[in-house]
Amino acid sequence: MSFIRYFVRRLLLVIPILLGITLVAFLIANAIPADPIVANLPPNALNDEDTIAAFRKKWGLDKPLHEQYLTYLGNLLQGDLGVSIKWRKPVSEDIAKRLPATIELATLGIMYGIVLGVGLGLVSAIWKDSWADYIARVIALIGVSFPVFLIALIFLNVFYAQLSIAAGPGRLHVLLRPPPTVTGMYTIDALLNGDWKTFGNALSHLILPALTLALYISGIISRITRSSLLEVLNQDYMRTARAKGLRERTVIGFHGMRNSLIPVVTVIGLSYGNLLVGSILIESIFAYPGIGFYMFRASTSQDFPAIMGVSLLFAFIYVGVNFVVDILYFFLDPRIRVA
Amino acid sequence: MSSISSISSSTPEFESPSRGQLARYHLRRNPLVTLGLIVAILWILIAFMAPAVAPVEPLKQDLVNRLSAPGELFFMGSDELGRDIFSRVLWGSRITIPAGLAVIIIGSTLGVIIGAVAGYAGGLVDELLMRLTELFMAFPFIILAMAVTAALGPDIRNAVLALSAVWWPRYARILRGLVLEVKSQEFVEAAHSAGAGGIYVLFRTILPNCIAPAVILATLDIGTAVISFAALSFIGLGPEPSSPEWGRMVSIGIDFFDQWWMWLFPGLAIASLVMAFNFIGDGLRDILDPRLRGE
Repeated sequence: MSFIRYFVRRLLLVIPILLGITLVAFLIANAIPADPIVANLPPNALNDEDTIAAFRKKWGLDKPLHEQYLTYLGNLLQGDLGVSIKWRKPVSEDIAKRLPATIELATLGIMYGIVLGVGLGLVSAIWKDSWADYIARVIALIGVSFPVFLIALIFLNVFYAQLSIAAGPGRLHVLLRPPPTVTGMYTIDALLNGDWKTFGNALSHLILPALTLALYISGIISRITRSSLLEVLNQDYMRTARAKGLRERTVIGFHGMRNSLIPVVTVIGLSYGNLLVGSILIESIFAYPGIGFYMFRASTSQDFPAIMGVSLLFAFIYVGVNFVVDILYFFLDPRIRVA
Repeated sequence: MSSISSISSSTPEFESPSRGQLARYHLRRNPLVTLGLIVAILWILIAFMAPAVAPVEPLKQDLVNRLSAPGELFFMGSDELGRDIFSRVLWGSRITIPAGLAVIIIGSTLGVIIGAVAGYAGGLVDELLMRLTELFMAFPFIILAMAVTAALGPDIRNAVLALSAVWWPRYARILRGLVLEVKSQEFVEAAHSAGAGGIYVLFRTILPNCIAPAVILATLDIGTAVISFAALSFIGLGPEPSSPEWGRMVSIGIDFFDQWWMWLFPGLAIASLVMAFNFIGDGLRDILDPRLRGE
């Protein structure tokens, strides 16, 4: 199958899923709350007939449910996610402002997480049942068993408060001014501006939360890497590779890794969901002003439109990442190209 | 037509050890399972006996001795209202353990029924149910649960309901596959030809032969359910703030970062419980899924 055909086919499969997500989000927003007006408007606006009438008209609340959904979709396509109760501003505006911070953190987190997870998995598969395997598995178990907010608090307490070897909460030192906005990601914007001091400070603020995120997702990644590599190591072609006289490094690095990578890539895609949830819990502890912190404050103050907006965004990101993973299969798994 | 699996499964097993022998063998090989079992049983006992063993009432305030560090007065310190953290941690097990189990029981039952019906009915019903399953799997599930809880209004019951509502898809998928496999076997045909109705055959003949994998998955899942519930209540979508719920206690503790005992002990309570269930689940998987044993 040619790449373009594969790509288009996968893309066509994504569209009904995205539509389905909007339908689920719509049903949660409009069918579950006893009264969508009470759920979506600030308490003091509930006495104001004009505001209520305007809200009703905008979301088509006097029409039947299926027409409401179309209105909802229409508003969504224009980027309208409603107005936050707590901040009194359009949810999409707030999200757009905070998204770069979260992308910056999540990217660094997933990079650390992959290195840590695949590394631990490799170590414990190659030296199976040794003490190295044991230690690697315990680290992985901590990653999946400790609530991520506890890890974040412990890291912050030990590395920032006690040892002062890492930067504390926030995105930047209070005395530093954010770099001129290009991408919204402080590290990149600082680099573009040639401002090394700001770059270093922004990066140092990212390290602890990114490491917490990494530990959180590396547990799952290392488990899959380990079991997948163990399975591959027993295959006949591995014995053949050794019998050919290849060095152990080539046998594992080339024949082993490549064939055990497919489930690992899948799980990295799936653990992106954990990464997003993790960002809510971690950003709230590091007072890191991204989408996660926004979601935390929205949900502690029951800001329903904001919660729904972030949920929808996260679901879209999740689907997008798993679409990319699907596309990666094409390059990783030659069987797809033949089929 | 008989399938290959039914032929091979009728082959007599040779000299297999008894179940008790197997269990002892695996427990010895896997000491972490034993540790997990001990910790889990301990927590369950605490949940039953908290009112008797906790030193004070979890809501009792002692404003004079608020924010005391762990010591003679308070074993695990006291919180911002002078409530005893140790008692609250013990009482917390009475919320978290039932909540986690309820999520698993409701969610897996739902998934088993949906998957079984889809696999058995086939055709349009199967198609519809499985598309729905895929749709639910397209969401990061805790985020979906957050949205549902927010819509229902935050409290313990709604958090459990919301988590259960997003928990079923994996069970549905597995069960559907198993039912499809079992459906074509001879004893099912026999039941049909003996005049048994569809619902009877599905629930009395087919399901008992597919339930074991769902039970294993459920055991593996308890830890995840507990930690998800804690996460929901950490972000305020669970019990009300004064409740001695672990996730909520940690989240209140953030504002008292220097009083580390306020967040550390409830956090460790979650971690120990989840770890215990994960040890048990891992061991169970090692024992029951030989492919992963890597021998």
